Amino acid sequence: MSLNAIKRALWVYHINTGSCNGCDIEILAVLTPRYDVERFGIMLVGTPRHADVLLVTGPVARQMAPRLKRVYEQTPDPKMVIAVGNCGLEGGVFYESYNLVGPVDQHIPVDIYVPGCPPRPEAIIEAVAKAWVKLEKAAEK
Amino acid sequence: MKDEGMTTTYTIPVGPIHPALKEPIRLDLKVDGEEIVDVDVIVGQVHRGIEWLGMNRNNPIQNIYLAERVCGICNICHPFAYIMAVEQAAGITPPERAEYIRVIIAEMERIHSHLLWAGIAAHEIGFDSVFYLVWRVREEIMDLIEYVTGNRVTKAMFQIGGVRRDITEEQFPRIRKTLAYYKSIFNQLKTVFLDDRTIRMRTKNVGILKVEDALKLLTVGPTARASGVNKDIRQDQPYAAYADLDIKAITPDMLTGTVVGDVYDRIIVRLLEVKQSIEIIECCLEEMPPGAILAEPKMAKVLNTLKTAEGEGVGRAEAPRGEVIHYVRLEAGRETLATWKIRAPTYVNLMAVPTILKGAQLADVPIVFASIDPCMSCTNRAVVVNRKTSKRASFTNEELHHLCVEKTRRLSNELAR
Amino acid sequence: MEILSPEEIVESFKAALGSSFIDSKIYQREVAVKKNLFQAIWIYVKREAFRQAVEHTCKLQEYPHLSIISSSDLGDSVGLIYHFTIYYGHHLKELSLGLCINLPKEDLKIPTITDMVPGALFTERETQEMMGVEIVGIPDNRRLFLPGDFPQGVYPWRKDEKGPHDLLRVLPGREKK
Repeated sequence: MSLNAIKRALWVYHINTGSCNGCDIEILAVLTPRYDVERFGIMLVGTPRHADVLLVTGPVARQMAPRLKRVYEQTPDPKMVIAVGNCGLEGGVFYESYNLVGPVDQHIPVDIYVPGCPPRPEAIIEAVAKAWVKLEKAAEK
Repeated sequence: MKDEGMTTTYTIPVGPIHPALKEPIRLDLKVDGEEIVDVDVIVGQVHRGIEWLGMNRNNPIQNIYLAERVCGICNICHPFAYIMAVEQAAGITPPERAEYIRVIIAEMERIHSHLLWAGIAAHEIGFDSVFYLVWRVREEIMDLIEYVTGNRVTKAMFQIGGVRRDITEEQFPRIRKTLAYYKSIFNQLKTVFLDDRTIRMRTKNVGILKVEDALKLLTVGPTARASGVNKDIRQDQPYAAYADLDIKAITPDMLTGTVVGDVYDRIIVRLLEVKQSIEIIECCLEEMPPGAILAEPKMAKVLNTLKTAEGEGVGRAEAPRGEVIHYVRLEAGRETLATWKIRAPTYVNLMAVPTILKGAQLADVPIVFASIDPCMSCTNRAVVVNRKTSKRASFTNEELHHLCVEKTRRLSNELAR
Repeated sequence: MEILSPEEIVESFKAALGSSFIDSKIYQREVAVKKNLFQAIWIYVKREAFRQAVEHTCKLQEYPHLSIISSSDLGDSVGLIYHFTIYYGHHLKELSLGLCINLPKEDLKIPTITDMVPGALFTERETQEMMGVEIVGIPDNRRLFLPGDFPQGVYPWRKDEKGPHDLLRVLPGREKK
């Protein structure tokens, strides 16, 4: 299978909807020389308009839900959404709290889930690789 | 015809989603030209209702793991303070060996947190290569933490009445090896951060917090110590093994002789604290008392004691960012806690942000805000308003970050001339 | 500024507050190998003398350190504790001092202390929005942590009918409590 849909390496945008930062520092650690995801060209960009993949962390706090939707709409197609961490799956340890409005897939469609509290950097790299493969398959159709 | 008298304000919203700071917060900055006149801090985007969960859903032992996830960076200090409060309320005394192990883990966390901050601060100024190098250096302490506790980030070492895992004599040589590595590169770190001309130009006399303001606004942690305030819980109030060690609060005059209270002083304080942490861990390894690690190994008995106990307790710990305080009240016959109040250090330090940023330039906002080491998830959150033209302009944090980096380039070019 | 022992501090409060002083408690514990003493004092005062008590604390220590204001729902009343610490900066001599005030639920009002301790602003705002206590004279009345569209009159830390019971998220497959 050749990589045809995206002509360059994946650009990733990270959005924090209220997480404890554990997943966020593991995402940053993925960029640093130990795990070094930039040798594949995968880069963290500063605006959703340049991104191919959205990395969403955190249980969705009440204030962040409309912003999450807006960022999703600003990202151009084709795009993939990865929910990183247990909080995005079902609230993590914070389930039943009064200020949370549901896991990420109640607001935007999620393609890949990465469980863990926080997941190891290797798991995050595997998730981005799976997202790439999924994008390619979707483009072939 | 120019209207000199008419001043109108620009409001530039910064946040809550921005690429420079990894956490959501909103800053409303009122700007007059390029100079900041007023700041309004709006938080609440990370409010997860943890205290409510602790009081209504969890039993006290489950709360330890909830307290860990208040913040992923200062992961040890929250359970530390919580457990001290519960032990005070229920009348449980941990054994001495457990107190020493708690201190070793807490100091390892301090090293990792300060190195993380140093990388982020370098990134804000524009030295991305320093950011990558410092985070590579940080991986050594993360490996050590994984070796000792089993995980990189959420460590789950604490238990009511002691600690869950022991640090045995076989593990000491590995710990000493990592500490020796850090001692060998410490001078290089100091040279990179403190002797570089551009970093000096960008951080000296920027974001000054005076002593009286720091005392009145109740600032804590390295932010306060950099302004000359002598507050450090490890020095002042005896808790865990710190009571046996002779710790001195680190203020910038230990290195430079004077106290200014700017961003440069905060870098000094944090780097010297890394050195202090290495010495504390070595001291604890030497003097570790033998014995048990848990006051009561059977968890069912502990839960029973907590269910019938009545009392209140206050636990204060020194996190990498400042003072963490937990207040716990237990009621007899109640399975959950009766009252739980958490207060993290950034909560108080945020009140100092308007004072620090007044008079600063727009391009300095990222580095000054990062210098107080904000951890929003601990706290539970910059709209810039330009007075002259009263237009609402939206600066994303990426644009602010670019401004900060551009100023560095401009200054280095001037220096090179 | 001299360093007083906990008993002397309690006596000085008794003298300053007179009849408004209700009770006091001193807690001490030996820590680690060298058995240094961790000390905490709790002082119970009546609401009328609250500002006097804070002024007296400012006399004991210039710029006392206020850590947080904690509030508990005690059924018919709300208990507020102002957690101060004094004698910071002195090696192993810092004391935790808690000023405890009880407010009846029909009349939840207490004066502000931001003129004496400007750093109390955030914690007073949080007590207002989370417990429903009205802080008289507070300079900034806005909500701190709760979002703007959170319903008025719902106070998350309360255990009575005003708690956030209707706002809890129900997990799929479970029933509402």
